[in-house]
Amino acid sequence: MHDKHLMICGATGCLSSGSAKVQEALEEELAKRGLQDRFRLVMSGCPGFCEVGPILVVYPDEVFYCRLTPNDIPELIEKHLIGGEVVERLLYQGPDVEAPARFYQTIPFYQKQKLKVLHNSGIIDPESIDEYIMRGGYRAFSRALKLEPMEIIDEVKRSGLRGRGGAGFPTGLKWEFTFRAVGDKKYVVCNADEGDPGAFMDRSILEGDPHAVIEGMLIAARAVGSDEGYIYCRAEYPLAIKLLKKAIEQATEYGLVGENILGYGFNFKFTIKEGAGAFVCGEETALLASIEGKRGMPRPRPPFPANQGLWNKPTCINNVETFANIPLILREGGLEEYLDVGTGGSKGTKVFALAGKVRNTGLCEVPMGISMREIIFDIGGGIKDGREFKAVQVGGPSGGCIPTEQLDLPVDYDSLTQAGAIMGSGGLVVMDDRTCMVDLARYFLSFTQKESCGKCTPCREGTKRMLEILEGICEGRGEMEDLDRLHDLAVGIKDTALCGLGQTCPNPVLSTIRYFHKEYEEHINDKFCRAGVCKSLFEYYIDPEACDGCTRCARVCPVDAISGERNELHIIDSELCNRCGSCVERCTREAIKVIPVRKEAEVKS
Amino acid sequence: MKRFIDPCCEKCDHSKEKPCQDFVECCTSGPICHESEACAAKRKAIMEKASLNEHFVII
Repeated sequence: MHDKHLMICGATGCLSSGSAKVQEALEEELAKRGLQDRFRLVMSGCPGFCEVGPILVVYPDEVFYCRLTPNDIPELIEKHLIGGEVVERLLYQGPDVEAPARFYQTIPFYQKQKLKVLHNSGIIDPESIDEYIMRGGYRAFSRALKLEPMEIIDEVKRSGLRGRGGAGFPTGLKWEFTFRAVGDKKYVVCNADEGDPGAFMDRSILEGDPHAVIEGMLIAARAVGSDEGYIYCRAEYPLAIKLLKKAIEQATEYGLVGENILGYGFNFKFTIKEGAGAFVCGEETALLASIEGKRGMPRPRPPFPANQGLWNKPTCINNVETFANIPLILREGGLEEYLDVGTGGSKGTKVFALAGKVRNTGLCEVPMGISMREIIFDIGGGIKDGREFKAVQVGGPSGGCIPTEQLDLPVDYDSLTQAGAIMGSGGLVVMDDRTCMVDLARYFLSFTQKESCGKCTPCREGTKRMLEILEGICEGRGEMEDLDRLHDLAVGIKDTALCGLGQTCPNPVLSTIRYFHKEYEEHINDKFCRAGVCKSLFEYYIDPEACDGCTRCARVCPVDAISGERNELHIIDSELCNRCGSCVERCTREAIKVIPVRKEAEVKS
Repeated sequence: MKRFIDPCCEKCDHSKEKPCQDFVECCTSGPICHESEACAAKRKAIMEKASLNEHFVII
């Protein structure tokens, strides 16, 4: 028995902020004091709050320590582990709490979350199958082995679970199609090729609770009649792959994977296929082609993978989060509990990766139907540096942006689609008033354009033409007719592109034109980028009323474009200025303003 | 018995070759095929070692 359990986040986010060094320091210090047997140290999965990593949660006390460094460890051991006194300075502190938040649940970031899929993440050792079993793991699979395939499928259908990878297709229906498809061999494939910039939901699930995905796949296999599965995971996720391999090894040793599983005559084996990082391989038919050793390119559907998938055999393909939902539904009493969460058309929870200009970046799991405002302001803590919210990009580069007026929109599949966005895989990029929406559309389109596989003309050529138009607008060469051209091209691509990625890639352009039309007009008619992003369309100007001559801006300017004596008004030479924005970041009085490019006469006057 | 896969006594013969249908339930609520306080205690000991608090184990 241990006095306490020390759960350090060992997921990729905290590792990159130094959690391995914190763990090393803890190990060394405990060993030095001969305490290693009293305190159990675990590199756990991600508790979600990446902004304040490295994170350590001490159990059973449930005290949440954050932003740790190796130097904090001696004090933490001395005061808390030995003395029983909480180290207040290492607790979570922020404008959203009155006093340092001592317990996990008192931190606002967690208060509106509903941890279902992530219920083990940060709680168990992801390398221990025993701990997964203690938390109710493999119970659902054990139960599924006693059910008929259609009984399993009916429960999944009744749960209302929709695919968490992007399109939101009903999972039970997909399983039924695969079950009814005729074939001497069937496959189950897990899509772990998470490619949206800023998205890491699937990586965190795999790193925190790999057995949940394996269990979900085993249940799917039992339901559709498959004996072989593939997990297609991008090679950029080495930790997830390592933990998956270990989990499969353990499940095989325990008789939960392999031949005659638990004596039910059911066989299943896993193969992990590492993807090379092409965005298009997240599209299901491109992913299957990649597993087959071909170039990752989509093919027309129908036939759908449920009928003709991997090597032309019926294939059930779902993403990581979808599979991780399955054990929650299939366990004893799970369906009723599952139906209690969510909205009519969107049941359960959704994991989102919160990124961008929000204070609390990280991973959160929320009930479907929660408002975007609650996610961004209650969980996310609002906008960084006290700036104003402008929009949130939902669903990755193929998603759409939601403006301030839509902040109370319930987050579910249908509402997001109506608003011109998509649920996508769960990426949320928050933008403040310093984001240019035209440039944002250009950025996302440049991403999808570069990642276009080139197979179909609408996506290959259409996105290129759209990008040229957007670049022209950002550089001051736009004309109002461009907006019609953009719209027509976007609709054409949506209607005719071969795959889902092509069909959705115009979404950022369409949604920004819809909600930020005035900003496009300003770029085209006034040649002005109000956000100060499109470098040809603005100048910096120092407001004489606000400038106190502190010289900070002049000192940081890389091209010496700012002149002025201490305590006197400073001036920017627009000819020299390269609009890098360093002075704006440095000025504490918001004295540097963005103004339209002045004509020579205006400058002289 | 250090892990759930280890047999609690000679009466447990779950293995890949001779699988027991009740294995998963047996890990946390066992032993199921025989009655033994000592064997139940062995399972409890595994769980107590990793349990973070009283809500940790879900049966």
